[in-house]
Amino acid sequence: MLRLYVYVAAFFGLLAAPFLLQSVVRERSELRPEQGGEMLELRIITPHNQEIRRTFELAFSDWHLQHFGRGVAITYLSPGGSNDIVRYLRDLYGSYRDAAGKLVPEEQVSSGIDLVWGGGDYTFERDFKPMLKPLLLSPALLQAAFPRSDLAGVALYDPDTIAHGSPPRWVGIVLSSFGLIYSPDFYAALRLPAPDAWEDLARPELKGLLALADPTRSGSAAVAYMMVLQRAMETAERRWLREHPELGYDEQSQLRPADEASPSYRAALARGWKEGMRTLLLMAANARYFGDSASRPCVDVGDAEAAAGVAIDFYARVFQDQIGKRRITYHAPRGATAITPDPIGVLYGTRGERELVANRFVEFLLTPESQRLWNLDAGQSPYVPRSLRRLPVRRDVYLDRTGWADDENPFELAQGFNMRQRWTRQLGKLVPIWAAAWIDAKPELDQAYAALLALPDPARREQLRQRLADLPIELDELTRPPAPASEPDARTRAARERMGWSTRFREHYLDVLRAAREAR
Amino acid sequence: MNAPSGARGVSLRERILGPDLRHAALAIGLLLVLGVVLIWPLLEVVAAGFQRSDGRFTSEYLRLVLANPVITRGLLKATLIAAATTAVALTLALPLAVLVARYEFAGRDLLSSLVLVPIVLPPFVGAIGMRSLLGRFGPLTQLLGQGHGSGVDWLGTLRVFGVVGVEALALYPIIFLNLRAALANVDPLLERAAANLGATRWTVLRRVTFPLVRPGLFAGCTLVFIWSFTELGTPLMFHVYDVTPVQVFNQIIEVDNPLPYALVVVMLAGSSVLYVLGKVLFGRSIRVAGSKAAALSALHPLRGPRALLAALPLVLVTLVALLPHVSVLLTSVSATGAWYRSIVPREFTGIHYVSALREDLVMPLAGHGPLQLGAVGNSIVYAGLATLLGTLLACGIALIVARSRVPWRGLLDVLGVLPLAVPGLVMAFGYLSISVQCRRLFGDATPAWLDVQRFPVVLLVVAYATRRLPYVVRSAVAGLQQVPEDYERAAANLGAGSLRVLWRIVLPLVFASLLAGALMAFVFAMLEVSDSLILAQSARYFPITRAIWELSQRLGDGLYVASALGVWAMALLMLTLLLASTLLGRKLGAMFRP
Repeated sequence: MLRLYVYVAAFFGLLAAPFLLQSVVRERSELRPEQGGEMLELRIITPHNQEIRRTFELAFSDWHLQHFGRGVAITYLSPGGSNDIVRYLRDLYGSYRDAAGKLVPEEQVSSGIDLVWGGGDYTFERDFKPMLKPLLLSPALLQAAFPRSDLAGVALYDPDTIAHGSPPRWVGIVLSSFGLIYSPDFYAALRLPAPDAWEDLARPELKGLLALADPTRSGSAAVAYMMVLQRAMETAERRWLREHPELGYDEQSQLRPADEASPSYRAALARGWKEGMRTLLLMAANARYFGDSASRPCVDVGDAEAAAGVAIDFYARVFQDQIGKRRITYHAPRGATAITPDPIGVLYGTRGERELVANRFVEFLLTPESQRLWNLDAGQSPYVPRSLRRLPVRRDVYLDRTGWADDENPFELAQGFNMRQRWTRQLGKLVPIWAAAWIDAKPELDQAYAALLALPDPARREQLRQRLADLPIELDELTRPPAPASEPDARTRAARERMGWSTRFREHYLDVLRAAREAR
Repeated sequence: MNAPSGARGVSLRERILGPDLRHAALAIGLLLVLGVVLIWPLLEVVAAGFQRSDGRFTSEYLRLVLANPVITRGLLKATLIAAATTAVALTLALPLAVLVARYEFAGRDLLSSLVLVPIVLPPFVGAIGMRSLLGRFGPLTQLLGQGHGSGVDWLGTLRVFGVVGVEALALYPIIFLNLRAALANVDPLLERAAANLGATRWTVLRRVTFPLVRPGLFAGCTLVFIWSFTELGTPLMFHVYDVTPVQVFNQIIEVDNPLPYALVVVMLAGSSVLYVLGKVLFGRSIRVAGSKAAALSALHPLRGPRALLAALPLVLVTLVALLPHVSVLLTSVSATGAWYRSIVPREFTGIHYVSALREDLVMPLAGHGPLQLGAVGNSIVYAGLATLLGTLLACGIALIVARSRVPWRGLLDVLGVLPLAVPGLVMAFGYLSISVQCRRLFGDATPAWLDVQRFPVVLLVVAYATRRLPYVVRSAVAGLQQVPEDYERAAANLGAGSLRVLWRIVLPLVFASLLAGALMAFVFAMLEVSDSLILAQSARYFPITRAIWELSQRLGDGLYVASALGVWAMALLMLTLLLASTLLGRKLGAMFRP
C-alpha cells in the first residue's frame, strides 16, 4: 500500500514539476507586454520551422502596431512538410471547383487560410499557383525589392509578371542554395580527397555511405537533384556551342528558337541529361537510404553515419556551427549550385480586411529591416534569439552585413549557372521516375551494385558500373506529348505508369546482377 | 439470471421495460457512437481506395496494389518482421513469465512491474536513443572496439535486425502479461495428477500445461504480431522503407495517389484475418475445475543464490530493454555534439532541460502569446478527456458484453477491440477527411469543434479515446467477469435498483480494473503519434508528441531538447505503468488480449 502512495505522490509531483520550475527558469525579460486593443488575425500555412514562425510573428505584429495601430496574432498551420501542404491545399480547394475544374467565384470560397509561405519556387509554380490570388504590391515596392527580376536566370517572383506585367501571385522572400556536405573525419578514415563536384559523390568507395533525401518527400531534395541534372545539360549545351562557332553565340546570348529545335542541339541536350541521370543513379546506388526530410543528411553526416550527402545551405551551416567543421563541412561547388527563392502567396478566397493584412505581411517581409532578420546573429535583434542562418532575397541588404551570421553573397555565388525554369517544367515528370528507379527498386539496385563491385577485374567492374548507371530511359520520353489516354482515370494512369517504371528499372538492375554473377 | 420480477423495490419502469430492453437500447446507443467515432473515419479512408477521380467506384486500385511487386514485397517483409518480432518477444517473455508465475523470490513483485516499463518509450525520442546507441561510431561500436575505419553500420546495413530487436524489446511485455496470467491460472493439481499417472515432465507440459495456457499465449502472440505488422514508428526510425506501413505512410502524403488507400484496405484485411483467426482458433479457454487458491499456493519459494538466479533474467532483460531509455537520458544531459565516438558523452549539461522549460511550445507563459497551456498541459488535458470518454464507452460495452443477453453483443465486443488492428495513421487520415468534408459542406459556418484548423481538441480527444478504447474495454470486461453475478442478484433481491447496484456493488468491485485500464489508456494517449501529427496543426494545440517532433526538427540542439522533454514524458509514463501494475497485478494482461 505504501508503494502505491509513493507512486501516486511521485505521479502528481512529476505532473506539477514543469509548471513549478517554469517560474524559476523564465526571465522577466522574456515577458512580452500585452499589445493594446483588439488584435487582427492572420492564418498562414507553412513548412517553416518554429524559430522562423516566431521571429516573424512577433516582428510583424510590432511593425503592424506601429504603422496601423493594431497588433496581429498569427495562427500558423503546419500539417507537415511542403508536400503535405500541397496535399492539404489540393484537398481543400478541390471542393471549390466547378465541373470544368475551375475555381468557383471567390465569395463562395472559405478555405480559412490566408497565406501559404515556404516550400520553394518549384512547388509554388507547379502546385500552389492555381490557388493563389494576385498580390496587392505596388510596382515601386517590387522594383525596390527586386531591381533585377532574376538571379542567374531563376525568377525571384512570379515569372508571369516578368513576362506579361500582370500582378505577381507569389514573390520570393528568402533564398536557398544547395551544396554537398561531407565529414572530413570520415573522409580521412577512408583516405579519400575532399569532394569538390557532384560527380565526386558517385565514387564507388562511397557505397552505403551517402546521405540523400527522398525527392518525393522533400521538395528541396528534388530541386537539388534537378540541379545536378541541369548542370550536366548546361555543360552539354556549352560543348555544343563550342562545336558550332559558326552560329555566333557568346556565353551570355540566348539561343534562337530555330537552333533550339535543331536535331543536333536536342541530341546534345539529351546526352547531357543522360550524363546527369548517370551521376544521379550512381549517387542513388551509394545512398544508405533515402531520408524523409532535407535536414536528415546533415544529421547523418554530423553523426558520421554517412560520409557525405546533399544538403540545403542553412541546414548545413547551423550544424557546422554546432559541432564543428571536422564533423561536417559544407561545400557549394562553384558554378554548379542552384540558388532558388522560397516564396509566399495569398490564397484564393482571402478577402476584405484579411486580404489587406495578408498583403501587409508580404510587404513587411520585403522591407530591408525584415529581410535582415533572416541572417542576423543570435541576439542582434530582440526577434532573433537564435540565428535563422538564411539568405535574404533582397540584393541591397547584402551591402551592409553588420551583425550577420554569414558573410556569403548568393548573388556572387551563382556565377552564371542556375536552374532554368523551362527545363524544370520539362523535367517535372522526373520525380516519380526517380522514386521508381532509386526507391521502389532500391533492393535490386543494391544487389546489382554490390555484385559488380565485388568483381576482381577492374575493367569489367567499371564496364558493368557504367552499364548499371545507364538507365533504360531517354529524355524524349519526358518531352514528347503524351499519347491519347486509353485509361480515362488520371490516378489509375499515374499508378500504372509508376509501376511500369519500377518494373522496367528492376529488370535492368537484375540484368546487371546476372551479368556480374556470370563474370565472377 | 435476473432478479425475480416480484422483488421489492423493482421499479415500474423496470417491470415494463425489463433489463433486456434497456440493455438493447444501451447497445444501440453504443453502436451508434462507435459507428461515428470508429467506422465513419475508417470508411472515409477505405472509400478513397475504391473511388476514381470522378467519384465513381473502381476496384482497379486494389488490383494494381496486388499486382505491384514492390507492394507485395512490402507485405511479405512486414509479415516476416512481424513473425520474427513475435518469435523473439516470445523467447524473451516465456522464461520470465514462468519465473514470475511459478516462483516466489525477493523483489519478484517490483521486478515483474519493471519488466513492463519498456512498453512506454515515447516516440521520436526512442529513435534518438537508438540512434545514439547504435550509431556507426556509437557506444556499442566503441564497446566492441570497432570505432575505426567506417565503424559498424548498425542503422544501415543491419537495420532490419534493428527493427525486429527494438520491436521485440518493446512488445515482449504483452506476451509476458498474458502468459503470466495464464500460467497463474493453471491449477497445479492437474499437473500433479498427470505426473502421478506416470506422465513425464514433457508430456505434462505438452498435454496439460500448454493446452491450458494456449489461449493466453496465442492472445499475446496475435497482438504482438498485429502490432508489429502495422508498426510505423520503428521501421521509420531505422529507415526501413520497403515495408507496408511505411509504404502507406510515404505514399499517402503523395498528392493524388489512391494506391496507399487500397493498400490500407489490404493491411486492414490482413490484420482482421489474423485477429479473427487468433480469436476463433486459440481464443477459447478450456474450462476446468480448479481454484485460484490452489494456483496461488503453488508458488515455489526460492531463497539465497537460487532467488538471485531467478531474478537475474528479469534484471537482464529489463536492463537491455531499457537501453534506449538510458540513451535518451544521456542525450538529454549531453552537451550539443558531445556524444561522438565515445561510450558516454564527453561533456554533460543541464541546459537542455532549461531550454525545454523556456520553450513556448512546451511551457508558455500564462496570458502571453497565443499559446495558453503548452504541449505539456495540452497533452494532459487531451489524454485525460480521452481517458474519461474511453472509460464511459468501455463501461457501457463491458456491461453489454458481460452482463446482457443482447443477441449481437459480440459485435460490440469486436468493435471495442477493433482499433488494435487499425493502423493509427489510417484513423488519423479518416478524422482529417471528416473535418475537411465538414469545411466543404458548411464553409465558414462549420462548427469550430469539427474544424481541425480552428479547434482540433474535440477530434483529437475522440481520436485518442477511440484508438485506446481496447485497453479500457478489456480491463472493464475482465473486471466484470471476475465479479460474481450473485452479488448483484443479492442486491437486487434486497430491493436495490439497477443503477444503485451498479453504483454500490459493481463499480467498487471493478474499480481497480477500470482504473488500471484507464491509466494505460492515459499512457498511450500521451504517446499517440499519428493523430497528433496529422490533426494538431496549430502550435497552440500541439500535444507533447507533436512538440517533441517539432523540437527534434530544430537545427542544432533540437534533438537534445526533445530528449529532455522525452525524459519527463518517460518518467511520467513509467510511474503510470507502475501504478497500473500495482493496482491490477497479474490481471494487467487482460488488457493486452485481443
